[in-house]
Amino acid sequence: MIREKAEALARRGSLLTAVALLALAGVYLRALMFTPIERFQGPAQKIFYVHAPAAWSGLLAFAVTGLLSVLYLWLRDRKVDLVAAASAEVGLAFSVIMLTTGPIWAKPIWGTWWTWDARLTSTLFIFLLFVGYQVLRGAITDHETRARYSAVIGILGLVLVPFIHMTVYLFRTLHPDPVVMKPGSPSLPGEMLVTLLTSFGVFTLLYLGFLAQRYALAVLRDLKDEEASRAVS
Amino acid sequence: MRDALRAALAIAGKDLAIEWRTKTALVSSVTFAVLVLAVLYFARDPTAVGAVDVAPGALWVTFTFAAMIGLNRAFLLERENRAMDGIRLAPVSPQAVFFGKLAANLVFVGTVELVSLPLFILFYDVPMVRGLPALAGITAMATLAFVAVGTLLSSMVVRTRFAELMLPLLLLPFLVPPVVGAVQATARILADRPLSEVQGWLKLLAAFDIVFVTISTFLFEATLEE
Amino acid sequence: MPPAEPVLAAREVTRRFGHRRVLSGVSLELHPGDALLLVGPNGAGKTTLLRVLAGLLRASAGRIERRGCVGMVAHASMLYDALTARENLRFFARLHGGASRGRVDPLLERMGLSAWADERVGAFSRGMTQRLAIARALLPDPDILLLDEPLTGLDDASAEQVLAVLGELRARGRALVIASHQLAELMGVVTAVGFLSLGELKAVESTAGRDVAAITARYREVTGRA
Repeated sequence: MIREKAEALARRGSLLTAVALLALAGVYLRALMFTPIERFQGPAQKIFYVHAPAAWSGLLAFAVTGLLSVLYLWLRDRKVDLVAAASAEVGLAFSVIMLTTGPIWAKPIWGTWWTWDARLTSTLFIFLLFVGYQVLRGAITDHETRARYSAVIGILGLVLVPFIHMTVYLFRTLHPDPVVMKPGSPSLPGEMLVTLLTSFGVFTLLYLGFLAQRYALAVLRDLKDEEASRAVS
Repeated sequence: MRDALRAALAIAGKDLAIEWRTKTALVSSVTFAVLVLAVLYFARDPTAVGAVDVAPGALWVTFTFAAMIGLNRAFLLERENRAMDGIRLAPVSPQAVFFGKLAANLVFVGTVELVSLPLFILFYDVPMVRGLPALAGITAMATLAFVAVGTLLSSMVVRTRFAELMLPLLLLPFLVPPVVGAVQATARILADRPLSEVQGWLKLLAAFDIVFVTISTFLFEATLEE
Repeated sequence: MPPAEPVLAAREVTRRFGHRRVLSGVSLELHPGDALLLVGPNGAGKTTLLRVLAGLLRASAGRIERRGCVGMVAHASMLYDALTARENLRFFARLHGGASRGRVDPLLERMGLSAWADERVGAFSRGMTQRLAIARALLPDPDILLLDEPLTGLDDASAEQVLAVLGELRARGRALVIASHQLAELMGVVTAVGFLSLGELKAVESTAGRDVAAITARYREVTGRA
């Protein structure tokens, strides 16, 4: 029963991921062929269509982990913990994309691979915190304890993000101002904006696809462990 | 409320009595602090960078790393003969236990800081008379910040494998706001500049203290039960 | 006469560690003056059951009802090695508050530890530590006392002393749960015996009118082991 459900979820997750990847190819086709080249940044700006949406998906993933952590301590439902952990892992993948495309983009634009700007730095530290989250999970065998401790880290992380952001902001900031969410008229020309927003949507789908698959995998692995432990006793 | 305060005091007093008797962690932390201060003095190009320029950073790296040793030990005591079970069987709220452990850790880290501060002034030859009260205030705020989170985390990591490894890994991201703020404020104080220049940092430190002491107090319970 | 409310009851208690089910559907009731001996092979779940009854472990399913204060003597002493016997008891007495502070010296006396009251617990023998652990558990004058292998490591004289204390507690209307292999020694104290096997409480039977041999035979029958 659980197995069938998990397998169905995994299938749906793969389907969603496939659709999202296809859409991503479409976004890039549009970005490279049909979207004008940005006047000041040149072709390098094209990487922005991956960089910004990956950052969005990464932060979304960690925010989901943080919120589910709160929910876990309230409900104590093992499923909530597994989804939170799956989301954290997917978040790590998106953070890696964000952290690698960032420097590639920064080099031609700012003339330096790495800048300690607020968003990049926040992502770096949140990434490192969630690496710690995964290591902690690996160091605890009891499910219940693991879930509880992970939830504590998840909640702390959720609260830490704005503080780190504030810290780096006070330290200094180089990053271009938000280009989309600025009040008043968006500063990005219409066609670029459409491409970028589409990419945000595609990355959100990608996140959901990955999350579904990762969660289904966790459930299936859990079932396997349970069978193994039953066979022993 | 009074019961909680009495329990917290009992726990803090007990921790400090044990520490005073064994002195292992205190001696190692202070020695470690002296070592870090001395090594960081040489971790620069003396012809290009003055000692006073690296001083704020050196001070805070020293404080936080030395504190980590003490934090690691904080819950080992309770783990040893499962004494925490004895505390949990008593009618004491988890919040009171947290405050007791936090208070003991603050005294511990404060002692390490108090001992290493004169050495810092001596080693780095920093002018340090007028700025001392301000530095003490900043130190208190930043120390409260990372010791609160550290106390919460050490209660968890002590029950995991590789406890000594886990604490720095998990705690360091939380050190970013308080330590960066403290370093900025310390630099202004050493340069004899008014603290109003770092108003933003002071606000950040205060907010961090309030938010993380509160949240750690309430999350602590989740680290106790099994 | 309607039966009085039990001081301690477990209702369909299940506890899992990971995928392992250590207790499944355990139900029991204890009234004042009951002394239940839990027997079962290693790994049957005796320690887990005691910890769940004490409230140190959360039940994965089911409920625990407690009316009154719980004391516990576990395998670990729940004492601080660096503190003396008296300091340990004083610390836990402060946590419990109330009249327990006046019981420190009488309990040291009762457990035959007065002569070593100011010695550090780290230097104690197993038997002394065990007696001090019992004194610690008795500080709040608990209505329910849970003991995990209270006689292991004790010499004959210490064992006598402990048995006398337990008998007296039962006579004073306290409820006892004792997990032990030492059926013969405890026969004089316990009123009932519970057979635990693979996490299930197979039966709880009165010891009245039965001898060790009869209960041992029954144990083999119930748990299927020697």
